[in-house]
Amino acid sequence: MLLGLDIGGTHTDVVAIGKDGIAASAKVVTNHDDLLASVTGALERVFSAIDVAAVDRINLSTTLSTNAIVERTTEEVGVIVSAGPGVDPQAHAVGNRYYAIAGSIDHRGTEVLPPAEGEIQKAVRHCLKNGVKVFAAVSKFSTRNPAHENRIRDIIQGNADFTTVGHELSGALNFPRRVSTAYFNSAVWRIFNRFADAIESGVVAHGIAPAINILKADGGTMPLAVARRIPVESILSGPAASVMGIVALCDIVEDAVVLDIGGTTTDIAIFADGAPLVEDGIELDERATLVRALKTRSIGIGGDSILAVSGTSVTAGPERRGPSMADGGSAPTLIDAFNVKKLAAYGDTAASEKGVRALAKKSGRSPEDLAGAAIDYAMRAIKEASDAMVRAINEKPVYTVHEVLEGKTIVPKRLYVMGGPARAFSDALAKRFGLPITVPEQYAVANAVGAALTHATMDIELFADTERGVMLIPFLNVNERVSGSYTLEHAKKDAQARLADHLAGLGVKSAECASEIIEAASFNMVGGWSTTGRNIRVKCQVKPGIVKGYRVG
Amino acid sequence: MITAQNKLGLIFFPAFDWAISPTHPEREERLLYTQDQLREEGVFDIAGVTEYKPLVASEEDVARVHFCLPDVASVITESHLISAGGAIKAGELVMDKTEQKAFALVRPPGHHAMKVVHGNRGFCNINIEAVMVERLRERYGPLRVAIVDTDCHHGDGTQDIYWHDPNTLYISIHQDGRTLYPGSGFTFEDGGPNARGRTINIPLPPETSDEGFLYAIERMVLPILTDFKPDLVVNSAGQDNHYSDPITNMNFSAQGYARLSELLNADIAVLEGGYSIQGALPYVNLGIVLAMAGVDYTAVREPTYDAACIEQPRNIMPFIKKVADEVLAAYFNPSGERGMPGNYDVRRKGVFYDTDMIREEQVESIMICDECAGTLKIETSSSANPLSLCVEIPIGACDRCRDEGLRIVHEGKKKKGKDYAHIVLINRRDREYVRT
Ligand SMILES: [Zn+2]
Ligand SMILES: [Zn+2]
Repeated sequence: MLLGLDIGGTHTDVVAIGKDGIAASAKVVTNHDDLLASVTGALERVFSAIDVAAVDRINLSTTLSTNAIVERTTEEVGVIVSAGPGVDPQAHAVGNRYYAIAGSIDHRGTEVLPPAEGEIQKAVRHCLKNGVKVFAAVSKFSTRNPAHENRIRDIIQGNADFTTVGHELSGALNFPRRVSTAYFNSAVWRIFNRFADAIESGVVAHGIAPAINILKADGGTMPLAVARRIPVESILSGPAASVMGIVALCDIVEDAVVLDIGGTTTDIAIFADGAPLVEDGIELDERATLVRALKTRSIGIGGDSILAVSGTSVTAGPERRGPSMADGGSAPTLIDAFNVKKLAAYGDTAASEKGVRALAKKSGRSPEDLAGAAIDYAMRAIKEASDAMVRAINEKPVYTVHEVLEGKTIVPKRLYVMGGPARAFSDALAKRFGLPITVPEQYAVANAVGAALTHATMDIELFADTERGVMLIPFLNVNERVSGSYTLEHAKKDAQARLADHLAGLGVKSAECASEIIEAASFNMVGGWSTTGRNIRVKCQVKPGIVKGYRVG
Repeated sequence: MITAQNKLGLIFFPAFDWAISPTHPEREERLLYTQDQLREEGVFDIAGVTEYKPLVASEEDVARVHFCLPDVASVITESHLISAGGAIKAGELVMDKTEQKAFALVRPPGHHAMKVVHGNRGFCNINIEAVMVERLRERYGPLRVAIVDTDCHHGDGTQDIYWHDPNTLYISIHQDGRTLYPGSGFTFEDGGPNARGRTINIPLPPETSDEGFLYAIERMVLPILTDFKPDLVVNSAGQDNHYSDPITNMNFSAQGYARLSELLNADIAVLEGGYSIQGALPYVNLGIVLAMAGVDYTAVREPTYDAACIEQPRNIMPFIKKVADEVLAAYFNPSGERGMPGNYDVRRKGVFYDTDMIREEQVESIMICDECAGTLKIETSSSANPLSLCVEIPIGACDRCRDEGLRIVHEGKKKKGKDYAHIVLINRRDREYVRT
């Protein structure tokens, strides 16, 4: 049996799914001051309804790290960077203990200037004296040559509780993002690990030893052991859980738009050929990171968006002033408008009538007219936002003649809608989008279902330079010598094999480790007029997906 | 987070699947390390810097500018249309005011491609700046344009295309033609009879360093631009003046290039040459991008930079000051014979296409006119194509020049097959681009 738990802003949802479908589910109010209590409370509710011994796996989506960062309750981090020439590293300063030390590595991974050991030692001493116990070591081009980051870590080692080294977070090139991601990782390291300890001991207390995984923003999971080392990957996984829920509940095979409609917002996700699109790095606390995430966009339109009239225009949201009048609220909202237009019959429809009529009277309209205009406004806003997303994806720069001329263009063929107001919105949305629409039955627990059924994801970048004779997979800490005969084919094979080995070592089932090559290029390097070697780059991923054999809905 | 002072659009198109030949300088690898550097520096995350996909230029965009023989499709590949499309995208972003500035980091380059195209010369098939400028003029109406070419090689193609256009000021700063391909670009080359002083050449001696280049910008280029008052300044941003470039002999640095970009304050920059792909391009491009965006670039430095090694020899400044006198005279006091309006001014040219090993002979005639840029007639033959007739009726052509252009084509058609293998007409006044 697979358990999925999603800590949301309002509720914490949990489901237990067996081969025959949902065996149990529970919803408890999220206690923001004690997330652990919310988690254990929700788990206890489900544990009491099933055979605990049958639980194979627990997947958790937690807002713990996100909240700590947003609420600035994280731990102080000593950030030590070696940047060398280029953009001034002070432009990327983060936290109160940021030290840019001398040292530089170029784009090929060649050391230009060794790291200034004296400066590192001084920075570490200064941090320790001020009670700093966690560090982040980041150098420019560390994914081409991790020597400086490793050297900084070696100097810190023994004096600190934990040090994040930038190249182990991602193989991507982006020094400023590497700095912020490493900083956030160390900043939430302790709080996350305490949480992990508590979860583990709580589960052990039931006499079971299921695999425990943490949800990531890219829609996949990572084993708890990995999450303990890179807790930053657990941030902003909430929207991803819902999107993966839709994948579990519906059989999506084409280009599609997925909408998750809540009280105040609608989250939009775009699917290409049935797979959710991932973006390379999300922003957190106004800083860009290297944390990959499902491409989602949130707009301020939801069931409780308040209706407003100004002059001849009628709007809805982004403001929310409590629930709809149908739900006992004091001001009419979109849900009330749907009730008035008889597109829904939710809660107290008479209260909806009354509220909308009062607002309509003030502006000299009929209630139907006002409700229609508000729904129109909301549908248009959702459509425009999703069109803009599709356009941006289709406009994404590409770098080969082939891709410019033959690149895939996304054209959504179907709309998938979930969330509380999904049913009420569905007809109006179908009309506005001009697309067939699917509203899955169990949309209310889609987020927890998504959490339960999604599997491990991982993406790695392999870089090889046969002139220098090196092959690196920074994320897996692979750094090996290769000969001049190393080719793109070797690199592709190596990338997939190393990724599979790594996942297997973490206990991920081999059926869930199928990886795909998403980018592969080999450039002949030329010195004078002859070839001196090959510069090879391979990107490989286990993409987000749903485990087979458990499909619900 | 860094914020740009100028909203900057970047069109980055490295054509990772296109090369002239596997070990040619113009190969797949050329912009690889530049992309690595820009990504690692987080350039695409700077608030106000946005990356765009190139457009694909149409054959008509090319036919509006060039006389391609035997036809457009025969002298280009798709990569040329995308490279030109990258420049067009940069131009449109600025004209539409979506961005304040734009930089097209595209390949292959274009500034050696002349009015008539029989093949590839100096790594160029079509002139991507001219294809952009003429599409902008077609779409947005008349524009006064200044093209400042800071590639190390004389931009003889751009010069040839705009030789007769009084509304386009072409300024080329380059290594002295006596010491480098293509061997032209002297101060006395200052434009045709209808556009005297609208072509300006600034030849600099080998080993010119930051001091000499910035002097040329501050004392020659900027005063001329101030006087010309262009609607649009385009920088043909070649990077082969760099001290590490393998095929040239100059001593310019990444800091120098960044400072040059800041001073020039171009609306649009388009990458041209530059073949020190590891030692120069990553840093020069970073410097140019930061300078255009108005972001501090003072810490950009090549790993191999050594000020003492590239110090400018003493005898260079006096030489450059002499060039300055000639340059300013060429613009402010252009001299030279000019025939009577209504008559033709004729010149003969031999053109060599080094990449494709084609030899071309041309007889070029321009109608001297006070009312417009004058109708242009070129009779051309080469080792690739037999004698052909090319006629251009310029934008805003007067009635006489338009009628004259149509007459020449009409006469030519009678002789087609006998005298002319191909006849190509560019009629900008009526937007007709025909070949027979
Ligand atoms: Zn050049
Ligand atoms: Zn005329």
